[in-house]
Amino acid sequence: MKRLALEAAVFGRSTYLQYVALFQWANPQGYVAYKVLLPVTQILFFVELGVYATGPQNALYFALGNALQLTANAGIFGVIATVANERQYGTLPILLASPANRMVTFLSRAIVNVIDGIATVVVGLAIVVVLFGLNLQHANLLLLAICVVVISLTTAGLGLMFGSIGLVMRDAIIIANIVYYLLLIVCGINFPVSRLPGAVQVLSFALPLTRGVQAARDAAAGASLGQVSGLLAGELLVGLSWALAGYLLFRLLENWARRGGLQEAY
Amino acid sequence: MRSLARASLSAFRVSLRLRVISTWSYLNWLVFPVLFAVVGLYVLSRPGAASSHVVYGVLGGGLIGYWSVAYLDGGNGIQEERWNGTLEQIFATPTRLWVILLGKITGGLLFGLLAFLPTAAIAYLGFHAVLPNLDPGRFAISLGILTFSFFCIALTLTPLFALWRWAFSMLNGFELGVYILCGFMFPVAVLAPWAQGVAALLAPTWAVRALYASTLSGGPRDFVVWWLATIGLSLAYLAGAYFLYALVERKARISGQLALA
Repeated sequence: MKRLALEAAVFGRSTYLQYVALFQWANPQGYVAYKVLLPVTQILFFVELGVYATGPQNALYFALGNALQLTANAGIFGVIATVANERQYGTLPILLASPANRMVTFLSRAIVNVIDGIATVVVGLAIVVVLFGLNLQHANLLLLAICVVVISLTTAGLGLMFGSIGLVMRDAIIIANIVYYLLLIVCGINFPVSRLPGAVQVLSFALPLTRGVQAARDAAAGASLGQVSGLLAGELLVGLSWALAGYLLFRLLENWARRGGLQEAY
Repeated sequence: MRSLARASLSAFRVSLRLRVISTWSYLNWLVFPVLFAVVGLYVLSRPGAASSHVVYGVLGGGLIGYWSVAYLDGGNGIQEERWNGTLEQIFATPTRLWVILLGKITGGLLFGLLAFLPTAAIAYLGFHAVLPNLDPGRFAISLGILTFSFFCIALTLTPLFALWRWAFSMLNGFELGVYILCGFMFPVAVLAPWAQGVAALLAPTWAVRALYASTLSGGPRDFVVWWLATIGLSLAYLAGAYFLYALVERKARISGQLALA
């Protein structure tokens, strides 16, 4: 029990320190640029593209998809940047030398970004409601909120996986950029997954967002929990699998980085 | 004059070499354009889509990549000088700032043009999308004038990256806003009237319009007007740059923040 309390304290402290030292958008300019301007312009760009290609009747499909994909902004960028910044600031060798529980340290990197991801989607959805008149009168709002939380957790799971690569790679943030925009293609954000080639569809369903976004679209249309529970369970399973794979990779690369002194390169 | 040309050429060479070894550069001219082109082509080339839509998918990714390298990469180049601790030396050297930036930006433009290659390849190989009504002469002139407008914007605004550390973040965050306003992947005509008014003040908007018109058989064909609008606005930016450079060079020395990363 005492050990659990100690680990919880380490987790709380690590989460707090992650926020004050490594949350890269914790200044007004950074937050406005990446948490307000980027979401607004991303939604506007893809909605205008969609409206031009398919007509105004489909505006909400694009708006909702892109508002939900914004979780990846925090879940992928934020989590990967955490490790990348640790390297940039020269604290990665100290972290790897510390006796702290690796699982606790690992998971604490994601918590602030999960909360931030939820906040970003709320901003995105507010934009969609105001600019595109998303009608939520018939929506199952509680279920939509659950979907947003689940998507934020699962994208952070994927972020933890790629964040681990930051232990041995100097420009891990490049991976964040690629993954973020790749999700726009393969997760049914701007067009149905069924239009992708078969092999890419397999990849789609192995990634977070695909099922979660579908569940959220259904929730916005008024579906019940029972109708989307399969999608949400699948989404959670995918996110957990990526997080677990990320933890295993973290342990593997930690040793590799230590042997090669890679954690000091920046 | 020869020494200025030599300094600019030297900056151009260094700029190219840095881009060859920079993973960010490859991200900007190769990866991003392809990702955007794929999304654009999937959305724009649905079964039964008009051929005018597909054209935006073919060229849109390339335009996005070209802009990213020409302008944002230029800004990032200034940020990297700051991080590497060489920005102060650039300001202290007797060679004027614009001469150095001229070389750096020209290197960026040359690299940025590469963005059209992978996007055209993915459009052709992945979506069998081509430009059947291409008017090569007008296309080449429009691309040249677009390049001139990118050059003028980059030359005008890049010093702001040196003055304000947060300028890069802001413009990076607004990058998709530029794609919207300049009509990189869909016509500006689909925007709200007030947004079209803002777009009309941006030089690339007119050049992009001419570029797309040169790939279509129908629609308005006021090429000369569009080219002149692009050139006029670009020259107006350059005139503003004259005052901006004086301000930046003075302010940068007063604030003493060039070395702050």
